[in-house]
Amino acid sequence: MFGLYESAFRALWENPGNLIMLLIGGLLIYLGIAKKMEPLLLVPIGFGVVLINLPMGGLMETIVQGEVQASYSIGGEPAGLISRVFHMGLVWEIIPCFIFLGLGAMTDFGPLIANPKTLILGAGAQFGVFVALLVALLLGFGMNEAASIGIIGGADGPTTIYLTNRLAPHFIGTTAVAAYTYMALVPIIQPPIIKLLTTKKERAIYMKPQLRPVSKTEKVLFPLVAAVVIILLVPKSAPLIGMFMFGNLLAVSGVTDRLADTAANAFMNILTILLGLSVGAFMSAATFLKIESLEVFALGVLAFATSTAFGVILAKLMNLVIKEKINPMIGAAGVSAVPMSARVVQKMGQQANPRNFLLMHAMGPNIAGVIGTATVAGIFLGILT
Amino acid sequence: MIDWNLAARLAGGGFGVTILVLVILSLVAWILGLVIQKSQAKDKEIPAKDK
Repeated sequence: MFGLYESAFRALWENPGNLIMLLIGGLLIYLGIAKKMEPLLLVPIGFGVVLINLPMGGLMETIVQGEVQASYSIGGEPAGLISRVFHMGLVWEIIPCFIFLGLGAMTDFGPLIANPKTLILGAGAQFGVFVALLVALLLGFGMNEAASIGIIGGADGPTTIYLTNRLAPHFIGTTAVAAYTYMALVPIIQPPIIKLLTTKKERAIYMKPQLRPVSKTEKVLFPLVAAVVIILLVPKSAPLIGMFMFGNLLAVSGVTDRLADTAANAFMNILTILLGLSVGAFMSAATFLKIESLEVFALGVLAFATSTAFGVILAKLMNLVIKEKINPMIGAAGVSAVPMSARVVQKMGQQANPRNFLLMHAMGPNIAGVIGTATVAGIFLGILT
Repeated sequence: MIDWNLAARLAGGGFGVTILVLVILSLVAWILGLVIQKSQAKDKEIPAKDK
């Protein structure tokens, strides 16, 4: 009567894991709305978690050998609303790559072209990825899983999702949430590490606020040349680097403004909604509530903290050989959490020396970090697939 | 059983290649900037000489 016997209340009470996941979903939504931590991602992810953990909704149903399964099953035929989006968007790798198109359209390579040595800082800040990979192996994770966990250290959500989907798809929800959570926690995680590794004098190193002006020709040629160089060196990075550089070319060409605007705004927003809901919906109690998930989160912090530390250390090492000293804090922006880590450096720089305006200087390594993480993902794919 | 050879290739080789790729890219960006700045400076000089 009135579908009473089909109500999901009983199923919910019989599965306390679902209740825990509902709380986790609620927490993510709370962090997004009340604390404004990565709201564009944490709100859709949180709502996806809530939806999938309400029993019998069928949003992630998959048909495997003629039988309907409630959760997404790799290799099965998607039959629910979000399982179809998940299948076509993430399993087919469309969403993370096209998010890179939008990111490219939103990126200004000017600071990086004006001061190319900051690219090296973006490479140095990938160190944590490799440290976390080795620690994950020691903890008993497989090679593919360890690589997927390590990439969290790059602090790049789409790259993490892209790589995890290829190497360890059962981890996709955990690694994605870890990556986006740590990106949101950049202002909390990075400052103590930077302070620990630098003296007050080093933090106060003055950098001229004006970088050299970059011509339009340079801005147009850079994405083309960068795409050719990186893809020739690391072919498997082509989907991410190719889309990133194409998006940037649309933005700087001066003749494709409509396309750049769509890529950076409407298209990006659509992809973000689909990505957030799909990742959240992958986090059912059965998939997420495991000791492994906690280990992934702990290793993610290790990776992110080590990347930050090594970025700062590399900047200090560079100061030993270059004439015009750089503020070592900009090395911390080599993790690709754009633009949060550059903002952290700007804020700390002003605290140490009110004359300092480090934002543009930090944007160079910050964008280099995006390129660096996509390159690392390409290397992992090249070796492991 | 951990395949340490593969782990070393992934971690050591991976980090090395990442550094190498970005060093090459920074050199390419530097040379590109240098060439374009010089050619633009020349373009500005030519009309000045014509006058």
